[in-house]
Amino acid sequence: MIQLTNVSKIYPNGAKALADVSLRIGKGEFVFLVGPSGAGKSTLIRLLYREEHPSRGLVSFNGQNLVRMKEREVPFLRRKIGVIFQDFKLLPRKTVRENVGFALEVLGLQRHEVAVRAEKALELVGLTKKLKAFPHQLSGGEQQRVCVARAIVNDPALLMADEPTGNLDPDTSWEIMDLLHNINKKGTTVVMATHAKDIVDQMKKRVVAIEQGRIARDDEKGGYGYEL
Amino acid sequence: MSFSSAKYVLRETLSSVKRNLWLSIASVMTVMVSLIILGFSAFFLANTSNVAQSFESQVEISAFVHTNVPETQVQALETKIKAMPGVSSVVLVTKAQGLAQFGQSLGKAGGNLVSDLAGTNPLPDKFTIKATDPRRVQTLADQLRQFTELKSVRYGQGVVDRLLQFTRWLRWMGAGVIIAFGAAAVVLISINIKMNVFSRRREIQIMKLVGASNWFIRWPFLVEGLFLGLAGGILAAILVGTGYNWLAGYVSSTLAFLPVVRSTWLFWQVQTSLLVLGMVIGAAGSALSLRKFLNV
Repeated sequence: MIQLTNVSKIYPNGAKALADVSLRIGKGEFVFLVGPSGAGKSTLIRLLYREEHPSRGLVSFNGQNLVRMKEREVPFLRRKIGVIFQDFKLLPRKTVRENVGFALEVLGLQRHEVAVRAEKALELVGLTKKLKAFPHQLSGGEQQRVCVARAIVNDPALLMADEPTGNLDPDTSWEIMDLLHNINKKGTTVVMATHAKDIVDQMKKRVVAIEQGRIARDDEKGGYGYEL
Repeated sequence: MSFSSAKYVLRETLSSVKRNLWLSIASVMTVMVSLIILGFSAFFLANTSNVAQSFESQVEISAFVHTNVPETQVQALETKIKAMPGVSSVVLVTKAQGLAQFGQSLGKAGGNLVSDLAGTNPLPDKFTIKATDPRRVQTLADQLRQFTELKSVRYGQGVVDRLLQFTRWLRWMGAGVIIAFGAAAVVLISINIKMNVFSRRREIQIMKLVGASNWFIRWPFLVEGLFLGLAGGILAAILVGTGYNWLAGYVSSTLAFLPVVRSTWLFWQVQTSLLVLGMVIGAAGSALSLRKFLNV
């Protein structure tokens, strides 16, 4: 489903984020991306939903070449990919329900269907009591959950998460992990960048470690592997 | 665009205006102030050019006929002058009329003078000729001098030249004022729209990352710009309209010598231009300012 071939990424300021990375992720997999901060995990995720272009190499998703993809096709790519952003990226002037519904509005769905499905997604993350709240009225953890709900509301083929448990207490973190696990069981591919050692160690999923822009380790049913 | 997305755009526009109420009001005010200035400049231009025209139309040639020319020949001359190219009107002031006018202009003493002359009339017949274009007065005068029946042909030589210079300046000034204020209006409005869009660039970026197409983001902005521009245009049209009517009434009652344009056609032309301009500037400004933020 995802294929990176000899991908390098150097940002305009000269920072080398990825160096000659090749990686294959199949449909239905659950993959943890681990590694020190600044190793290139977030860059890898950004390449996949086409927020960034690789400096060299090939990125493809479902057989589509993302490097040569036309600007007007990008929205259609992003509609197939749910992203849980590190900084949530919620629309500040929209309510919780509107934020989640926005991922459906862009598909041109009817207002009623948008509302019903948004509420369903918010039920999954346990936020039904704050449908009409604005993001700034929520705690960090609640905002995180809104972001999760928005990422899963349109049943994406690929769900990517950049530190989805970074701002959450352990209990809520596990709730989110259960959610991702269940979504994965229904067939959605999940790629998650994280520093949460205990989660990685307990889940026994594929672990790809990235260090200084290179893949240092790629284990099936691996562990976090770094001492904290 | 389907029906449900049209409804989405309208809902989105309304909620955006509601949730950004102060910014929306500021936008409407900016458009309004700019268009008020522009509207008044338009009326100013119309009036300066009208004043210039009315000054120019007062330029006339006086041609005096030899006193020994018989009346029939004078009338023949009148038709000949009327047929000349560039002549807009010819008025014949006969000796008798001339004397009566002269007498009147002298008031009480005039009556005595006319009676003192006791039937003799030293005044010649006179043609008052107006040219279609004041710049042709000189050539016209030269042509008139060819007629042997005419004793002398006069027009305010130096005065006409200076007058033409003045009216040309007046017209340039009117055009300059409208161009300057038009440019100022465009700058003001575009700064406001840019601020509006800039303050929402993060939202635009997020929308793109969640899979919104450019048009999906653009439409609500466009329609919002259109409505805010139209609102500003309506306010400006009302204020400019009532303001100008009041001002025109005031000027024509106090400075009666200044001709004021009070044509309903011009009035509605300016009013509709303000509305249309408001909408176009609002919508186009939003769309253009969005451009660089859509590349995410």
